[in-house]
Amino acid sequence: MSAALLLPLLFLCVFAVALFRRVKIYDCFVAGAKRAVPLLVSLFPYLAAVLMLAELFECSGLAALAARALAPLLSAIGIPTEIAPLLLIKPFSGSGSLALLSRILSEYGADSYIARCACVCYGASDTVFYLSAIYFAGTQRKGLLLPVAAALAGQFTATVVGCLLCKWL
Amino acid sequence: MNAVFPVIFLAAALLCLIRDPALFLPALLEGGQKAAVLSLSLLASYCVWLGFFQVLEESGLERGLGRLMRRPLARLLGTRDEKSLSAAARNLTANLLGLPGASAPAAIEATQRMMQTGNRRAAHLLFVLNCAGLQLLPTTVIALRTAAGAASPADIALPTLLSSLCCAAVGVLIVAPGARKS
Repeated sequence: MSAALLLPLLFLCVFAVALFRRVKIYDCFVAGAKRAVPLLVSLFPYLAAVLMLAELFECSGLAALAARALAPLLSAIGIPTEIAPLLLIKPFSGSGSLALLSRILSEYGADSYIARCACVCYGASDTVFYLSAIYFAGTQRKGLLLPVAAALAGQFTATVVGCLLCKWL
Repeated sequence: MNAVFPVIFLAAALLCLIRDPALFLPALLEGGQKAAVLSLSLLASYCVWLGFFQVLEESGLERGLGRLMRRPLARLLGTRDEKSLSAAARNLTANLLGLPGASAPAAIEATQRMMQTGNRRAAHLLFVLNCAGLQLLPTTVIALRTAAGAASPADIALPTLLSSLCCAAVGVLIVAPGARKS
């Protein structure tokens, strides 16, 4: 596929230009890769906290409970209630929501309306709490409430619009 | 997070207590273990992309990319800071191409830099844009649908992109009115 072709081409072009401009590619690459370790060390505690919360949220049954509570509201605005757990886990954990998505795909069939809605909702937003934790790790987090709320509002809008579009397209 | 974390944590812990207290610790450990496993794979992909970015930067190609996206980005984010803008440009490009391993370190760099230079609004805008999951082709979902035997796995690409744009627009509209510099 074209996406698979893109990556080697990208590396090839950039490295060729670098070679042409006499950049010491190896030293340079290593210098960049070296920064990965301190970056990850500073991220890890935030990562752990968010993922523990995600796990607890799902295992305790709170996610299922919240999904059931939200169901009437969701069905009132045309969102299939089967995808409610996915919507709730998505802001916390990418891997968790991906697992839910693949379960929905196998349970309802890839071409069902429910599965298509789930796919669109999964793709049209990102892990809000997770991103807010890692982007702002170590910085002053005051005033983050508004952007997080804005991102969640965006996710909600995307869900409504996505389910509508799935009906039409 | 300081508001969300305790609320959800306490509610979930309480529910555990009522239903099955034995679930509590294993759930936390499972989360920690997932973080450990995830960070190993993140380390691998950050190594690849941070190394690549360094080569990109020293070869002078990044300046070209930055020049292409600088105007609209500077306008949107309300900053002229060179380093924030080039990191943000890298982040958004990686997002569009669907390379999460590449977009996260760039976003972190941009955010930290923006917070340091006191441009909190720009950092918030970048965060909101990232939360929309903007991507030209949702490759992960398409792969999953192909595996599940969908008739045309890529037919969700257009609705996904449109909903993503809605998500970004809502986020930006809410965050953007913030003071230009605070």
